[in-house]
Amino acid sequence: MFLYLPNNTLLHQIHPSTKIIGLALLLILTVAFESPWHQLIILSGVLILVKTSGAAKNIRRVLPLIITVMLFSIITWSLFKRIGDPFWGYGPFTLSKDSIQFGFAMGFRLDAMLLSGMVFVSCTKVEEFAYGLRAVGLPFPVSFALSLAFRLVPLFFTRIGIIVQAQQSRGLDLQSGHVFQRAKKYVPLLVPIFVYAIRDTDLLSMALESKGFGMRGERTEFLIFRMAWYDYTILTCLLAANVLTWVLL
Amino acid sequence: MTTGKTPSIILGFSGGDKLKTGSFLVNILTTLALHILELRNLSFTYRGTSDPALKQVTYTHNHGEFTVIMGATGAGKSTFCRCLNGLIPTFIKGDFQGHLKVTDLDPQEKHQVYELARRVGLVFQDFEAQLFSTNVELEAAFALENFAVPQEKMADRVQSALHQVGLTGFENRDPSTLSGGEKQRLAIASVLAGRPDVVVMDEPTTDLDPIGKRDIFALAKSLRNEIQGIILVEHETEHILNADRVLLMVNGAIINEGPPTTILSQPDYLEQHGVRPLQTTVLLQRLGLPTESLTISDAVSNIQAAGWRINEGACQSLEQTEVTTDKMNTVVRIQDLVHRYDQAKAAVDGVSLEVYQGEFVAVVGQNGCGKTTMVKHLNGLHKPTHGTVEILGKNTTEWTLSELGKRVGFVFQNPDHQIFANTILEEVSFGPQNYGLSKEETEKKVLHALDIVGLAGQEDQDPFSLTKGERQQLALASVLATDPDILILDEPTTGLDYHGQTAILQLIRQLHEAGRTIIIITHSMWVVAEYASRCIMMSQGKVVKDSSVRTCFEDRDLLESLHLESPEAVRIGQAFGVTVRSIEELITCLEK
Repeated sequence: MFLYLPNNTLLHQIHPSTKIIGLALLLILTVAFESPWHQLIILSGVLILVKTSGAAKNIRRVLPLIITVMLFSIITWSLFKRIGDPFWGYGPFTLSKDSIQFGFAMGFRLDAMLLSGMVFVSCTKVEEFAYGLRAVGLPFPVSFALSLAFRLVPLFFTRIGIIVQAQQSRGLDLQSGHVFQRAKKYVPLLVPIFVYAIRDTDLLSMALESKGFGMRGERTEFLIFRMAWYDYTILTCLLAANVLTWVLL
Repeated sequence: MTTGKTPSIILGFSGGDKLKTGSFLVNILTTLALHILELRNLSFTYRGTSDPALKQVTYTHNHGEFTVIMGATGAGKSTFCRCLNGLIPTFIKGDFQGHLKVTDLDPQEKHQVYELARRVGLVFQDFEAQLFSTNVELEAAFALENFAVPQEKMADRVQSALHQVGLTGFENRDPSTLSGGEKQRLAIASVLAGRPDVVVMDEPTTDLDPIGKRDIFALAKSLRNEIQGIILVEHETEHILNADRVLLMVNGAIINEGPPTTILSQPDYLEQHGVRPLQTTVLLQRLGLPTESLTISDAVSNIQAAGWRINEGACQSLEQTEVTTDKMNTVVRIQDLVHRYDQAKAAVDGVSLEVYQGEFVAVVGQNGCGKTTMVKHLNGLHKPTHGTVEILGKNTTEWTLSELGKRVGFVFQNPDHQIFANTILEEVSFGPQNYGLSKEETEKKVLHALDIVGLAGQEDQDPFSLTKGERQQLALASVLATDPDILILDEPTTGLDYHGQTAILQLIRQLHEAGRTIIIITHSMWVVAEYASRCIMMSQGKVVKDSSVRTCFEDRDLLESLHLESPEAVRIGQAFGVTVRSIEELITCLEK
């Protein structure tokens, strides 16, 4: 993927299907709790994954977003969630011990989700993602299309960058004006962006067809992954945690 | 034509018994196998259009042959290529008539793209859009996976294809980190790994710098011994001398074909059909000599044999008439400019230079040497990491982007990056309106700009209905409408045929003659030689030479080290011991 960081950690080596299912199980686990302490434990676990997978480099790039999500969540949930006995109130805003705890729980949960997604994309190549999706039963064209979307993101942003510069060179000022004026200014960008998106997609489709993409029947794989003991261990642990949480709590 | 090679399919009959009993059969098979592609009366009209893109095309490709297709924009070259691997009519719909036989496939049956693609590999011009894997090895393996090649055989085939294109050792590199030439070679490797009988390359060098172009032609030349056929669409005449056959296409039809010596020795004929002729043949024709000598050494020998020699006095007077710039009026001053993207190596590394009012400056160098990054500082699109840039005596940090954009016009390489409006008038009005000009003033400037580029009278036309060359002219008009003092053009001739190139270059020359300062980025050294007055050569973010164009071309060692090749006119002149910039100058210097 475009945020993939070549490395040789355990998280890079595990089977792509384990990564996909593992991520799904982790995300399910995060929605099981509403206590900030439980969420903090999960977030701490995810932070350990960030450290051990070498994904910190990518996390630094989105750190402002992660902090903003956390603060926004804590503040808004604390002020708007009407649970417990409020000890302060002003107009529509109230604060209670429970609403603050809930705000923290939501902040930790969203960050745990974001960070685990970042760990996943930092350790998984597009091809591994596609392989993993196929291994869990998705048809090849569907898994390939999903994985391709990630690959095309950087190309798309490069195009947008050039188009923005081309229009700025003709005096387009995207900074000034109120929100509606600024929205109107994006029209000169949208047409070339759509023209290029269609053109690139068309070319890519032809390139894919020219390399036998539409061939019927079985295809073979260049990359072969085999499930190892650690794959089974990871999946068993995550599954057990989910079962225990959802059944016992 | 035939190459005299024995087709590999026939080698299977080398067993003595079979040869003895079936020599007649072998002869028939040999003849049949020589034709690996056969098109008869092939016509195609794209859905939604009325004019056929291909008209009654008949062509046979022989075993081991290297064919080059030439022709102006819209001649049908890409349509021809896309028919060969079945994209037309299976993927791209339209009215398809005629007969196409590809290697062993039964021409009576309808074949899917993947069936034809196994036999005919197609490489596209835009290498960015055809690479989608995260490393080189996986890119080369993609077709093999689709063709269900057994996994144990894949590694060898991938390695072999990468070796053929010279990318051994690049297996784990991310394709996005490769240079343009390397990306295109990877695109070719990804096709070669599938071991097609024929490789078709549709303008593979258009977006490449000189070294990238040279590598692709060297590769095509080496591949002719390894695969059964190569078909290459190309604009640059000098690079196709090694081909076995040249096809000239005009308006969807093949109007002429033959060996390069026959086709390329007709300069007027080629020019008439939108193909830039070899400068050697233009010179020979102007001197009244036979035009069959296509290489520089042959042409020089023939010219000397005909009694032509250099007139020293005429050459000296040429140098004296060199355009001198008034260095009083500095319009651009760059001092110790450094630019870094993120924490990476400096893209521009300590550049200092001045540009004077009325100069025509060409900036040259390999892809990634920092040309575009440097000039984007001139209209404020980039901010210096270190150093200063002054425009008309004022630091760019003191200009607003809007004020700077009005004084420094920037025409991007691809006009489609900016065209958005419904009409030409609306498109060209965009700049002046952004700069707050009144309606009357905007209209006046827009009409003037359209008049300059030759689009006056077409104000209500849809910009997307124009040809690529006209869209480039429209992009130029939309910048001219703001009446800039300095005009920057990034690769203005890329993707245009010869007529389109000369039209835009003549326009730029007129603007220069009218007093504008022109800065052009280009890979076409003939454009530098014939149009610019000053040449700035860049390498790895630094300016390595900054002098008059003639002086730049005199430094042959430097040009070679930067993999820049002088145009033929310059090289012919140098074979006579003088540095000229054009055929006209050379003719002035020659006497009998």
